[in-house]
Amino acid sequence: MYCKQTVLKNLTGLHARPASEFVACAKSFESKVTVRRLDVDDAPEANAKSIIKILAQGLSVNTPIEISADGPDEQAAVEKLVELVDSKFGED
Amino acid sequence: MRILKGNPVSRGIALAKVYVYKAFKADVHESYFEAGQEAAKFKQFTDALAAAEAELDTIVASLSVESPEKAKIFTAHIEILNDEEVAEEVKDMIMSSRAMPDYAVDMVFTEFAILLEKAKDQLIAARAADLRDVRNRVLRILKGEKEQNLANLREKVVVVAHDLLPSDTATLDRSHVMGIVTEVGGATSHTAIIARSYKIPAILGVPDATEIMQNGDMVVLDAIKGQVLLEPERATISEFEIKLEEFLKSEKQTAEYLDRIPLVASGERFSVGLNIGSTEPDDGFRYVDFIGLFRTEFLYMESEHMPTEDEQFAAYKKVLANAMGNPVTLRTLDIGGDKSLRYLVLPKEDNPFLGNRALRLCLDMPDMFRTQLRAALRASVFGPMQIMFPMVGTIDDIRAGNAVVDEVKAELLAEGIPFDEKINIGIMIEIPSIAMIADLAAKETDFASVGTNDLTQYLHAVDRMNPKLTNYYQSSSPAMFRILGKIFKEYNEAGKPVSVCGELAGEPLAAIVLFGLGLRKFSMNASNVAHVKRTLSLFTLAETEEIAEKVMNMDTQADVEAFLKAEVAKREQKQAMAAKK
Repeated sequence: MYCKQTVLKNLTGLHARPASEFVACAKSFESKVTVRRLDVDDAPEANAKSIIKILAQGLSVNTPIEISADGPDEQAAVEKLVELVDSKFGED
Repeated sequence: MRILKGNPVSRGIALAKVYVYKAFKADVHESYFEAGQEAAKFKQFTDALAAAEAELDTIVASLSVESPEKAKIFTAHIEILNDEEVAEEVKDMIMSSRAMPDYAVDMVFTEFAILLEKAKDQLIAARAADLRDVRNRVLRILKGEKEQNLANLREKVVVVAHDLLPSDTATLDRSHVMGIVTEVGGATSHTAIIARSYKIPAILGVPDATEIMQNGDMVVLDAIKGQVLLEPERATISEFEIKLEEFLKSEKQTAEYLDRIPLVASGERFSVGLNIGSTEPDDGFRYVDFIGLFRTEFLYMESEHMPTEDEQFAAYKKVLANAMGNPVTLRTLDIGGDKSLRYLVLPKEDNPFLGNRALRLCLDMPDMFRTQLRAALRASVFGPMQIMFPMVGTIDDIRAGNAVVDEVKAELLAEGIPFDEKINIGIMIEIPSIAMIADLAAKETDFASVGTNDLTQYLHAVDRMNPKLTNYYQSSSPAMFRILGKIFKEYNEAGKPVSVCGELAGEPLAAIVLFGLGLRKFSMNASNVAHVKRTLSLFTLAETEEIAEKVMNMDTQADVEAFLKAEVAKREQKQAMAAKK
């Protein structure tokens, strides 16, 4: 199990195209990957390979999140996804 | 010939054969299979997913060059199809609970759609529609049914459907769809927006259209008046062929008038207003000076219970917020024995249009009336608003309505709830008995608005819902113009505002006469705004007065219409000649 925290900085948040890119990236790894928002108590862990679960989280700009992975490529998965979030998905 | 009526949301005329489009209707029941078939049933599901993806790939490929924006809708559908969580849950229902694949798909997709609908963000919530769209695709494949779509039509048709989904309109074969008729949907529905952007004439809200119309029936779509003429006679077809040609020509010229300041040729300004019947924002708000008629019936018709004060208050406040500062005339509830509400059964009457309706019904059900007035008055501090009573026949009616308003005002005052204390209270003039004493009515009201549809019905004693009587329903008759002239004169002399919010205000030919008779406030549907502005710009004040005088002394409505048409044609020709030079 490997996890890392970051904050969504792109204006769209995890909606629309950024959400699609995020899910596609998660799917390229074998490990089970989840996302959880940190600004709400008891927020559920959302399967990062499910576009619907990710959208339903309503993760907007400035939301702090934790990305966790469990499996053979867990560290690479988390690092890559954090990098993608921090790149602001090419916005601005 | 049969005439069906509906809401013309995209102006135009179409003549073509009917194509009834019935989208696949999922009919799924809770059902399970015998142990031992797990692998086979699961394979049915994965095969269906693969087939659905293949269909979507084809659509994306065919759209990606011509309209990449639309292709995106289907790329998103493929994403949903590949959603790991959805697939896992369906698999689990099949393998562990032995649920039939269609039942499992229906349950899981619907559950996820509901999850999305709960999202605070409107854009995310709206994606639930995509999820349902994908669900239907998978269910249809599981049932072994072929895809029916509007992408490849063999001939020119008028599409008749219950409703159109985003996936239907996105692949619409625009070279063959001449018109659209649906059973549901209003001016701001998805279908309406698409129809307008494609410039396809459309009439929505035609009840039972898919039952009444059959594949191959010849149909004329008059999406100016909002009429579907089913199996028209030869003469009607030729009449509309000419109308279509004229329409296309003038449409080009008219569009330029939409955002112009409404002026007649001699420079006098008039006001153009909008009639609305929902809380949705309307693009037309930008081009008008006021909302001359806000119908409140939808609140009652669309609700499962008597709308509460707070529900109404929220709706009225929203309309004021959308109105961009334009003053809004709220008409109190206008229903009667021809319409029953789910939660309120009104006794059937032999003559509902002469019966216990509108203001009469409200005075008869004071609690309902007070609730609406409280909500309206509370909203009145959020923007310019005035309140109007429909179906007023006597000064007694005005006084009775005003008395309830005064009581409600006193109540709010005592409770310390703010409202616009100077709010204007006015009446609809649609019954001849109040028109005949417009001078007296003007003293007891702050304003009046003429409902020409009902005024025609009551003045001519013609049931306007009876298609056999369309020739008797003459809203441009000399009698109508005489009575209208009297109403305008009395209100103008009393210095009280008067407007017309009936269909006549939006009919360019009639508008010429109305202006000549002294009307300066015309309230209409958004689609007529540019037309009225354009036609009135052709005439000087003196000319309209002369024309009004003439038509009041003509023998028949046919004479009036022929005369007005000729007057317009004369000026348009002159304008065209001048433009050439």
